[in-house]
Amino acid sequence: MRAEVRQFLATTLPKGSFFPGLGMNAPVDKSFSAKLAAQGWLGMTLPTQYGGGGRSAVDRYIVVEELLRWGAPVGHHWVADRQSGPVINKFGTEAQKQRFLPAICRGELAFCIGMSEPNSGSDLASVTTRATQNDNGDWVLNGRKIWTTGAHHCHWMLALCRTTPINDTADKRAGLSQFIVDLTSPGLTATPIPFIDGTAEFCDVTFDDVVVPAELVLGEIGQGWAQNTSELSYERGGPDRWLSSYMVLEELIRSTQGNPINDELADLIGSAVANFWVLHYLSLSVARTIDLGGAPATESALVKEMGTRFEQDLVTAVLGYIDHEPNTSNQSLFEQLLISSTLNAPSFTTRGGTNEILTSVASKALRGVSR
Amino acid sequence: MSTDSRYEADPLVVDNVNRILSDTCTPEAIEHAEQTGWASTIWDPMAQAGFPWVGVPESIGGSGGSFADTAAILRAVGRHAAPIPVGETGVLAAWTLGAAGLEIPNGPATAACPWPEVIRVDNGRVIGMATVAWAQVAQRIVTIAAHDDGSFEVVSVTPDQVAITAGTNLAGEPRDIVTFDIALDATEHAPSPPGWSPFRLLEVGAFTRTQMAAGALARIADMTVDYTLNRQQFGKPVASFQLVQRHLMAVAQCSVRATMAADTALRALTDFQRVDTALTVARVVIDEAIAEGTRSAHQAHGAMGVTREYPLHQFTRRLWAWQHEYGSTAMWRRHLGRAAYANGADGLFPFIAG
Repeated sequence: MRAEVRQFLATTLPKGSFFPGLGMNAPVDKSFSAKLAAQGWLGMTLPTQYGGGGRSAVDRYIVVEELLRWGAPVGHHWVADRQSGPVINKFGTEAQKQRFLPAICRGELAFCIGMSEPNSGSDLASVTTRATQNDNGDWVLNGRKIWTTGAHHCHWMLALCRTTPINDTADKRAGLSQFIVDLTSPGLTATPIPFIDGTAEFCDVTFDDVVVPAELVLGEIGQGWAQNTSELSYERGGPDRWLSSYMVLEELIRSTQGNPINDELADLIGSAVANFWVLHYLSLSVARTIDLGGAPATESALVKEMGTRFEQDLVTAVLGYIDHEPNTSNQSLFEQLLISSTLNAPSFTTRGGTNEILTSVASKALRGVSR
Repeated sequence: MSTDSRYEADPLVVDNVNRILSDTCTPEAIEHAEQTGWASTIWDPMAQAGFPWVGVPESIGGSGGSFADTAAILRAVGRHAAPIPVGETGVLAAWTLGAAGLEIPNGPATAACPWPEVIRVDNGRVIGMATVAWAQVAQRIVTIAAHDDGSFEVVSVTPDQVAITAGTNLAGEPRDIVTFDIALDATEHAPSPPGWSPFRLLEVGAFTRTQMAAGALARIADMTVDYTLNRQQFGKPVASFQLVQRHLMAVAQCSVRATMAADTALRALTDFQRVDTALTVARVVIDEAIAEGTRSAHQAHGAMGVTREYPLHQFTRRLWAWQHEYGSTAMWRRHLGRAAYANGADGLFPFIAG
């Protein structure tokens, strides 16, 4: 499996022919996504009757790990393949599965994640985007989502909305529901927010009487929190949580290759390789647990928290090793990747759940507190 | 991490060793061992059960059993801070002696790991020096000495045949300076079997420390949860404070990492695949986990953790000692860095993930 993916990448996307991405931050390339789909490498774990591969989480893990470490442009299909597809498969209606899953597996549909809001980040249950049912039985959305990667070029959003006002319920985690929202809907506006490195993938999405047909409610009304927790376990614990700065190390080695290695570089590489090795096995073990029917939410939180810290530590270590100021005019791949990863590093430990909220999630389990 | 039975210990072995060590490794017994240099109340039942020789094939005089059984026993030694030379007696001394066709003693034994210094055979005499765990209490001290022509000799001596300067590690366990200056013919000796070198001895020793450290880190993770749930401040358990939860998280992560690293070392040894790399990785991961895990465990325990009567120190002192035994943290980290570098940029990920 792994050898097959390596062969495919070496042929389809030879090193030097493209600017590698930083793990899941990789660029959007629809034709590359289509090529992966043709290999059967999108929607690998989805049932074959919906165009999926019917494969194990471990098989998908191997493909994804190789794509990320290659810096492949996975941006187009990333969210749909990692979480939207599996969540629709788990909670969706038969009609929804037939409508969305085959197109996800073909690499045609791009999804974004409608969780965070301006006033709801780590405290996700406090979301206020409101969904009310109209006379036709359809749902009308009003509110605002933020930090929504790719909303300006994706097709669909899985949005977590409030269907029961927060004042009417003692537990704010009740009264939440998920909707599959067409991003071309009238009343929906996605505006890019310029990112620290000058790119614009983050979006601010406003909903102004956006109508979502009744058949696009995902799962059960009022069960949004539980469904969303399940979605997050797909989002955490994978190799995307420790490979973001991998390319920097590979290019550092390439840029010094042929020279004798000093103790300082041996220390840097030795420590990094050991961490990569153990995170690889820990992530693989999360995939195995999923294959055995488990939902390793705590393990995923432990892995994501330390994996993302390691991603940052590696950038810090490389910055501490080089003996010059990084300069954007330097066209070497190493220099470009180092600059890019330095600017992106702060996001490693915040996106997909801050390390603080992951600590809170994991420590509840460690303390035996029921959620 | 795998359902493959080759990597899993016999549950009976796991239960028995943990039962014996739970019963015998009381804080008083461990403290007594530190004061007197030996703990027969812990060693004797372990030896009667044959545990120190598990993993050494019966054909060469061991108790048989798998590497997974050995690993489970060593993790139990770490988990209970057992002050006894299980790894030294079995996988270091008995395995080497058995492989060389020399007699395996039925009591404690140990090995002089000639690294980085060399123990050599010079004009018919074995000459050299090493720090040796439990040398004073061992019935036999084994080493692998280098001939001028690059071949190696397995050498077995009794403690009275060498000069021993007593010392201890940070946990108060005997770590003695042993000086060899003895005629080869006065020792029990045999040419090294294929594959047995001073570095192999170092690797086997490093393997024992990965398993022991994984056991001890798992224990301090449990102790930290228990302590912070029981200790009340500001009217509630300190575990309910988010700043304290950071320590629970850190020590749990260190334990998980160490266990995974110890598992990969065990798999590599079982399959005899990439043994050097897997052992080296395991040491580097575990040494980093020891540094971070012990710091967090102590911080969460506050002043109680640094007292002699509260047993946390029995585990943390051992962890601090073990990270420098059978190759230092720096030595293994650089060894790994150089090996990965030699594989080249395109070979880096295959080096990590196979």
